[in-house]
Amino acid sequence: MAGRVVVTGAGVISPIAAGYEEFEQALYRGESGSKPSDRFQGATVAEVSGFEAQRWLGNKGIRVLDRGARMLCVAAQMALANQGLAEDGGPEVGMVCGTMFGSVHSIVSFDWSGLTEGPSYVNPMEFPNTVINSASGQAAIRYHLRGMNSSICSGFASSLYALHYAAECLRFGRARVLLAGGAEELCDESLQGFLRTGMMSPSGCARPFGADRDGTVPGEGSAMWVVESEESAAGRGAAPWLEICGFGARQEAQGLQHYSPRAEAAGDAIHMALAASSIAPEQVACVVASAGGSREGDAMEAAALRSVFGSRMDTLPVFAPKAALGEALGASGAFAAMAAGLALRRGSLPPTAGCGPVEYGMRVSPEPQPVEGEFALVNAFGCDGNCAALVLRLWKN
Amino acid sequence: MKRVVVTGIGVISPIGSGKAQFWEALLEGKSGIRPVASFDTSAFPVHIGAEVLDFQAERYLRRLAPASMGRASQLATAAARLALDDSGLDLAHADRRAVGTSIGTTSGEPQFVELYNDLRKAGNVEQAPAEIFPRYSCSSISVHVATEFDLRGPCLTIPTACAAGNHAIGQGFDLIRTGRVEAVLAGGADSFSRIPYMGFARLGAIAPQRCQPFDRNRKGMVPGEGAGMILLESLDRAVARGARIYAEVLGYGLSCDSHHMTASHPEGDGAIRAMQAALKDSGVGIEDIDYISAHGTGTPTNDRVESTAMCRLFGERARHVPMSSIKSMVGHTMGAASAIEAAACTLALDTGWIPPTINHEESDPDFDLDYVPNQSRQTRPQVVLNNAYAFGGNNASVCFRRYEGGVV
Repeated sequence: MAGRVVVTGAGVISPIAAGYEEFEQALYRGESGSKPSDRFQGATVAEVSGFEAQRWLGNKGIRVLDRGARMLCVAAQMALANQGLAEDGGPEVGMVCGTMFGSVHSIVSFDWSGLTEGPSYVNPMEFPNTVINSASGQAAIRYHLRGMNSSICSGFASSLYALHYAAECLRFGRARVLLAGGAEELCDESLQGFLRTGMMSPSGCARPFGADRDGTVPGEGSAMWVVESEESAAGRGAAPWLEICGFGARQEAQGLQHYSPRAEAAGDAIHMALAASSIAPEQVACVVASAGGSREGDAMEAAALRSVFGSRMDTLPVFAPKAALGEALGASGAFAAMAAGLALRRGSLPPTAGCGPVEYGMRVSPEPQPVEGEFALVNAFGCDGNCAALVLRLWKN
Repeated sequence: MKRVVVTGIGVISPIGSGKAQFWEALLEGKSGIRPVASFDTSAFPVHIGAEVLDFQAERYLRRLAPASMGRASQLATAAARLALDDSGLDLAHADRRAVGTSIGTTSGEPQFVELYNDLRKAGNVEQAPAEIFPRYSCSSISVHVATEFDLRGPCLTIPTACAAGNHAIGQGFDLIRTGRVEAVLAGGADSFSRIPYMGFARLGAIAPQRCQPFDRNRKGMVPGEGAGMILLESLDRAVARGARIYAEVLGYGLSCDSHHMTASHPEGDGAIRAMQAALKDSGVGIEDIDYISAHGTGTPTNDRVESTAMCRLFGERARHVPMSSIKSMVGHTMGAASAIEAAACTLALDTGWIPPTINHEESDPDFDLDYVPNQSRQTRPQVVLNNAYAFGGNNASVCFRRYEGGVV
């Protein structure tokens, strides 16, 4: 096991833009995806408004895909096309996808149809979508991805786990090229989860680290990277963009709905990611935060960052993408990683949309901030104790 | 690179719970398939399942209340308790940040979907408790296990359908092999649910009376529930603490058919590639494999494809490598299946006995393979493969070897 793992391509569908160049532009314009919903009686959410997958996927074979699978397929197709791999992935191209609720809406619908019409009347064509990872299975069929195919669910940290596992599998030679990231659809059931557990911002605005933050805004979408070994990229003449460096993951072990004020697991996850990257905290040039407007969650992340970086947090630039993208659960880590990659390449962090007055001395800003250095830290911390951190490096030959 | 061994086994299954009871039942060829008890099947064309009837979560949970979690979490936590107790690992003096949790599942906590829809049908959807939303996410299974035992290492749930247990063991293996953690509780869990039952019944995939994998007259699979957890540890830590070592994990292989959501590739293309990848990862050849734990669901298609893959990969040797399916006894416990089968593999390596495929009456004339019909057998296997296949064309094979002592 050796070698470096690099990012060569990307695809994204998000509440602010579809396509990663468009995503970059929208992010740096400081656009926010939060608005009254088309689908959920005016609730303020960060959804992919007017999502029409046919625009990218055509009509063929689309009927069997639920919203989450469509989003994953759109992001995957963009990433593959971006790297000239769209025709036939082949036996050594696979996928690792993070998701939190998977195909929950399809599962609820299938059960509902059995309950109301009788078990003999359920549509057998809809049964395959009741496996939580149906999106990645559907994408594998659509793009002929015959390599390994895995999905990971670790709450908000799901897609950072997925990016790490993809890198690990490439190092072990389990695949030549992997599509890695996350996908999450916002549906009735997940929206109710946000509402009923009190996670939703009553003011309809996620203000990460904001003094007057009052909760988060539900999000959705998919972000997928093409990741491969340095040798694989060189072999096919693809220019690497980033290197996936070290990963750290810890569990707080306090149950499903508890942000630990001591931030032990979150701090440890960051330490572990830095150690696995063989870098010191001083080498981190910017932070892409997990903060999404939760009172306890953002306080925990601030405490974790302080515990690792100390007074350097007064000057270390921080970007909080959930201000624009909302809490996309299993996809949020992939969105954050994509933002970190863009920041390293441009030497500038995107503005954090509408953050207002900030607490804990976090350097989040409504203006772009310069990034001086080659390493970015990406955090994904959840109320279920799942804390993950990933270090990315701007690729240099 | 660290070597990884199995030092604890915990099983909650329809044929018995705990390592000893489970293994005895398997070698005796006991069936856990009975009329479904947990819901009314009168509107279904089939009525059998493999449920864990005597399960009492409160016997296994000390920190968390059983009512605070779904049944898959309860089953997983119980199996984890059994595996930890069996291992003798003293968690009180372990670095809990170096112990991870990796659990596979097909359906997560589907009973919360059922509850939600039941309330909706009764016009009371607003009475759905707020807690069911976070408890529904399948990540809750590994979080509950980690919380019960205060395990602070990486914690993940792998929802890769019926190959999930093997996927989870594979990820746990990698975490230890790379030195990221010292131990991982790895396995799979699923609870009995009307949702997959409806789907499989609608596909005509459920057998009417019993599960007969590889038999000429096999009529289908039988949905089940359960949990299998194994404690994986680095070999050097296991030896240092004087642990009992059941087997060594050599490697694993994954592939995807990219063919059809529910039907395997007809020539077993993906299954072969997963086995080849596992052999390569493990540094062994087909000549080394002397037992295969089959996916063996009992459906006409699965078993034909699996036998085809076996013949194509193993060639002449195929007839001489026993391959049995414990699903004939345990039923198809979904995401738990390959984890429970992994427990059986490690016990086979440890005891020298291999479990049978029961209900075998008439050989399939298309295949001349050794399915270990009806009787367990003492073959003293040295290297075994555990195969699992799933919806979405996901294939996963894990390779285990008998542990003969020594650290290097």
